[in-house]
Amino acid sequence: MEIGAIVHSLDPAVAAANPEEAGAKAELDALLYDQHSEDGTFVGTAGSGAFRVSAWEAGKSAVFAANEDYREGRPFVDSIEIQMGRSAHDRMLDLELNKADFAQIPAELARQAADRGVRVSASRPNELLALVFLMGRGATENARVREAIARCINRAAIVNFILQKEGEPAGGLLPQWSSGTAFLFSTEADARSAKEIWAQISPSPKLVLGYDSADALEQSVAERIVVDAKEAGISLVSRAIPASEKANVHGGSESPTPHNEAIHADARLVRLRMASPLPSVSLAAFIDRLGPLAVINGSPLPKSASPEDVYDSERSIINGGSVVPLVWLPQVYGLSARVRDWKQPAAGESWPLADVWLDSTTDAH
Amino acid sequence: MTFRSKLFVNFMLALLLSVGLVTACVTVVTRHAFDELNREHTDALVSQFQKEFDRRGHDVLNRVQGIADAEPTVRMAIDLSRPNADISVYVNDARGVAQSHQLNFLDFVGTDGSIISSAEWSARFGYKMEWVTQKEDWATRGSFLMKLDTQEGPALALMAVATVRVGDKDLYVVGGERLGKEFLASLVLPSNMRALLYLNLDPKFEPANLIDSGGPVNEAERFEQVIERERTQPVVQTAKIDWTFDAASAEIFHVIPQLGRQNELLGVLLIGDSQRSVVTLERHILWLAVGVAAIGILFGLMLSWWVAARVTRPVQKLAAGAREVSEGNWNTRVVVRGRDEVGQLAQSFNQMTQQLVDQRERLIQAERVAAWREVARRLAHELKNPLFPLQTTVENLQRASSQNPEQFEEVFRESTGILLSEIENLKAIVGRFSDFAKMPQPELGPVDLNTIVRNVEKLFEAQFSAVGRPPITPELHLAEGLPTIQADATLLRRAVENLILNAMDAMPAGGVLMLRTTNGDGDVHLEVSDTGTGLTPEETERIFTPYYTTKQHGTGLGLAIVQAIVADHGGRISVESETGLGTAFHVELPTRPPHHQAAPVVIEEENEEA
Repeated sequence: MEIGAIVHSLDPAVAAANPEEAGAKAELDALLYDQHSEDGTFVGTAGSGAFRVSAWEAGKSAVFAANEDYREGRPFVDSIEIQMGRSAHDRMLDLELNKADFAQIPAELARQAADRGVRVSASRPNELLALVFLMGRGATENARVREAIARCINRAAIVNFILQKEGEPAGGLLPQWSSGTAFLFSTEADARSAKEIWAQISPSPKLVLGYDSADALEQSVAERIVVDAKEAGISLVSRAIPASEKANVHGGSESPTPHNEAIHADARLVRLRMASPLPSVSLAAFIDRLGPLAVINGSPLPKSASPEDVYDSERSIINGGSVVPLVWLPQVYGLSARVRDWKQPAAGESWPLADVWLDSTTDAH
Repeated sequence: MTFRSKLFVNFMLALLLSVGLVTACVTVVTRHAFDELNREHTDALVSQFQKEFDRRGHDVLNRVQGIADAEPTVRMAIDLSRPNADISVYVNDARGVAQSHQLNFLDFVGTDGSIISSAEWSARFGYKMEWVTQKEDWATRGSFLMKLDTQEGPALALMAVATVRVGDKDLYVVGGERLGKEFLASLVLPSNMRALLYLNLDPKFEPANLIDSGGPVNEAERFEQVIERERTQPVVQTAKIDWTFDAASAEIFHVIPQLGRQNELLGVLLIGDSQRSVVTLERHILWLAVGVAAIGILFGLMLSWWVAARVTRPVQKLAAGAREVSEGNWNTRVVVRGRDEVGQLAQSFNQMTQQLVDQRERLIQAERVAAWREVARRLAHELKNPLFPLQTTVENLQRASSQNPEQFEEVFRESTGILLSEIENLKAIVGRFSDFAKMPQPELGPVDLNTIVRNVEKLFEAQFSAVGRPPITPELHLAEGLPTIQADATLLRRAVENLILNAMDAMPAGGVLMLRTTNGDGDVHLEVSDTGTGLTPEETERIFTPYYTTKQHGTGLGLAIVQAIVADHGGRISVESETGLGTAFHVELPTRPPHHQAAPVVIEEENEEA
């Protein structure tokens, strides 16, 4: 018995690497490693997990075989075949045509997938899409500029139309279910005050909002922000950032090159995935990743910080205006009809493929 | 310039003028015809473009209406008409529909004007498109031009609106086609034409807004004046742009304003018609005309030359005949065939010369008779003088022989002396006549006239101051650098001697004898003047007549001999005189005597048929 799993495209560098030597994406690592540490990194020996690599074609596909010696017992499925680099459209088709049993689906397509008869499983919102004003840009160092842009953004429209109501407007850096204080942060748009603030800025700058060229959601959100800004009289244009620059934002290990015209942007859209259901852990991870990009107010947050400290830190960052939370996104998965015992992974958790089994009585493939 | 040359030049001028006029007329008429043709051609194309534009508008309208009539759209309208309808599910619908209907712009707009879905700018959902909800009958409005806001900035589009009404709610389908380079590229135009479109999207002229099927137009600044004029007064106009100094590079643009719903100027369409083919054709025709004109001129040149030669040949012969006559060849004949004016002129010329010859013959005959009479008179006069003493001497001898034999011897001796003296006198007279008759032809050689004058004057110096007669004072005014002349020195010396002798005879009471030489144009002058008694006008006229003399003992041959010598040297002699003041003889001698042509001259046409 085997399960065919189709995952969304991996970063090329990760997809091309040998997972037993360099470590792959977290979801794959979870299949190969026995345990992981608190910060989400896996430890142990590759192959000690539920599955072992049976075949690996860098960037295209991988086959994981069930580990007979797995500490917690052999997985139900014999093997997992993973297709890499499939577009969202293809993944949807694979699910509809029963060519795959499992696939990640972009949140904005969840509704469409459901309408098309795909079995959809969505997590609680655990990925923040935020607007980050990059440091070292003359125009965005003006707090009034940042405030005007932050006020003009209609988050509800993004959630309702772009995300097709699959998500939540975000006012803070942590979701309500995690911190319990998210309601204290406003998510309302105020185009009128944005227009008034912008009118007071002289000379009014022309700003560029960057987004990941490979991310359709970021593009749609960026374009909507541009429309909102335009209605407020703010001069803002969107520009795609090549995938090669993605690491600057998502990886958090490099600083953007402020004066490189090829990737020039005054602000960027950033996806921040919660590392843990614990607010302090996720916020600390966010701060670590945003730090190289923007000026983050406040001191480093210990992982054992109290809820009050977490809120204060979160408030301080939001008030600083360099990071503007936009929406919370869930992790959405499409499942075939024969998949059983699928449990939606919590924030920071990987796919529980070792626990699923396939109902042979259900028609598949 | 000869008559033939003048005639030829006149012919050529007339020919050039005619050819020039014809060429100019052909050029003007051709250009006018081309302009007219071009105008008609352009009008047709502009009309065709307008039809094409209208057709595209209808096409857009049909596509938009087709979308509105489609079932998914109707279902959308029904769904949206429900209370609390979820419009978010339709947010991405416009893009696919627009692609399937090949529309650049497509918006589904709710009854309140809110954008439900936008194909070109999907992020605009939720915002109002208020102009759609304004009261207007979109069903009859048809297509129209409109300025739209897009992500890339403002754009011009050919738009249409269709309405789907469900209950009291409307769903507006707003679709259109971008007026840009793709639109221009889709227009079917002849190869020598192109369509430009100025998108009137900015308050001022923006060169980047002027596009053709390939994108922004090069040197768009050249159109600024035309566009600004159109922005001021949007009417159909024509403008010409010379891209280079070459006329073939010019383009004539027919400028057509494109107005929006409110008659605002949204775009300016420029249909450019390259003048290259027209100018090339005009040049071809012009060169052809020039070539034909050149051949015509060349042919006219030859024809004019032939005609001029034909016309002027008799005149030239007449001129040559007249020249011969002027040189003394009165017996000249001109042979000209034809009965035209020139032929009549030649006939008259020949009659004239014939009459001149006849009259000269008669004159010569008369002069000869007169001369003989004069000779006879002079002979009678000259011979009478010695004959009378001879007669009286012989009669004295007869009388002495019969009446005084004793004195006969003495009378005989005296009479024979007288007889011998008179016989000598008679011989002298006969000798002078003989000398005149035997006047030799001059033997030419280089002669210095000043030397001759100076030598002759020295010869007569003794006689000027001879005892017993009043003195004559010679004055010599000899020109320096007088050229040598071709003359017979002996004859010339004799002529000078005769003139000096004549002057001395004219000054019995003494006076001044002036000898002057001067340099003329191609000849030398000698003036011999005296302060003597002078001559009457009648005497002046006859002074060179042989045997005419005003003196008691003159033979009348001295000045005749001078005239003969001067004439034999090709010169001429004249006299000025005033009674009581003196006389002056002017002799003009050519440096090189001309040859005489005494033979009759007949001037024939060389080739009458030519």
